[in-house]
Amino acid sequence: MITDPYGVLGVSPDASEEEIARSYRKLAKKYHPDVNPGNAEAARRMSEVNAAYEQIKSGKTSGTAAGGYQGQEAGGGSASRGQEDPFGFGFNPFEGFDFFGQGPRQESADFAFRTVIGCLNAGRYEEAIEELNGMGERGAAWYYYSALANSCSGNRITALQHAKTAVQMEPENPEYRRILNRIQNGGQAYQQQSREYGMPTGNLGRICLGVILTNLFCMCCGRPC
Amino acid sequence: MFGTIAANPDKLTPEESLRYRSCYCGLCRALGDRHGTMSRVTINYDMTFLVLLLSALYGEGCTVGKERCLIRPWKTHPYFRSGMSDYAADMNIVLAYYHFLDDWADEKKVLSLLEAKLFEKEVLRIAARYPHQCSTIRRCMADLSAIERAGETNPDVPANCFGQLMGAVFAVREDGHAGDLRAFGGALGKFVYVMDACLDLKRDIRKELYNPMITTASGGFDEILNLLMADCVAKYRRLPVRQDGKLLENILYSGIWTKYEADRKKAGRRGGP
Repeated sequence: MITDPYGVLGVSPDASEEEIARSYRKLAKKYHPDVNPGNAEAARRMSEVNAAYEQIKSGKTSGTAAGGYQGQEAGGGSASRGQEDPFGFGFNPFEGFDFFGQGPRQESADFAFRTVIGCLNAGRYEEAIEELNGMGERGAAWYYYSALANSCSGNRITALQHAKTAVQMEPENPEYRRILNRIQNGGQAYQQQSREYGMPTGNLGRICLGVILTNLFCMCCGRPC
Repeated sequence: MFGTIAANPDKLTPEESLRYRSCYCGLCRALGDRHGTMSRVTINYDMTFLVLLLSALYGEGCTVGKERCLIRPWKTHPYFRSGMSDYAADMNIVLAYYHFLDDWADEKKVLSLLEAKLFEKEVLRIAARYPHQCSTIRRCMADLSAIERAGETNPDVPANCFGQLMGAVFAVREDGHAGDLRAFGGALGKFVYVMDACLDLKRDIRKELYNPMITTASGGFDEILNLLMADCVAKYRRLPVRQDGKLLENILYSGIWTKYEADRKKAGRRGGP
């Protein structure tokens, strides 16, 4: 936790959301690793700025804006979700995995996460995420359960990142590594097949001259396509 | 964001290539017939893919022919057109309309506003024909711009929103295929949105614009994108495709990376010795 996230971003605590976002993007322009390749100090500053920004946003938006969108997504997408395999991988990446079956070694952690586990077992993934977002301390176990819950509700990027964080925090925990591997496996299998297929070398627009004209038209209006 | 779902022409057999062109020309014809010659410029590969996929799924009758068109008047070329071409043409207009409006709102491009105005009447007509699709598109576009305005740093949130939009476009009818089509379109839309964000990251940082991938190290993009495509392909496998399987797979395994690979090469040249 950063004691003064507003100070890191250089804004006052009563700044509007837009002012904070503007200030964040100014700092990103200065320190983002993509514009400062190989600059360790810039990278350190950027992760500090990121942490501060996320801290402010989670304090301001948790359960309101961000939660609201996820809720909407759940409502709108529920028609398809009913028929989906729970993890949406086409195969169950956690096959043989039992939310309760982690043995005694994580008993105390399990106790703190009992509501989350209950939601996961009942298939109420959005609720599990909300429950997790309401928790204060974020240790390796938190990231592990968050990876599970997000994976189940189709938030694949969050799931991957949180599984990685869990492994980073506790590299010797085999369960965390197992979940990370399961999440990564599908992507690796796809990448393999895709490489066998061969990557495209040409540019778009060889099929029909119309596309070239369309692109010209796009260039006239200057919008990136 | 549009035009990503293309084929890799180098890996198509001559027959597949002909089929792909015919589908494209059929869609272009459908656009011209239904929404006027001007609308043909909005054609893109995404909707060509949709026509191929829906035709492969529903296998409904189509008209086949040869034509000369304004854009390539010196020779005739084959086309095939079905009810799905007409549907995709309608969706193409709606998506282009919101894309233009978005450009107007974000970057105050007057030309974009004019283009949007040009298609406004058509969009109203289409909304009456496909109320469910059009209301979902409208709602998701509004949600998406609210998410972007709020500066959401979790890429899943806007990507899911765009996925929902694409899911609605892919689910042509409320029948037995609707759930699987919505899931597949959703996964594909999510990939398209995230890939676009990855490609725009440097430009957005420079211009101080919103980009959902800003907190992710660009070294991790490949892994994330492959993960999203794996999900997409898994959902594709659930669709009972009756024809053009190889062509569709070309797009999902190779062609979809065209923009990304082109950008990587460009970056490689710039960063090289």
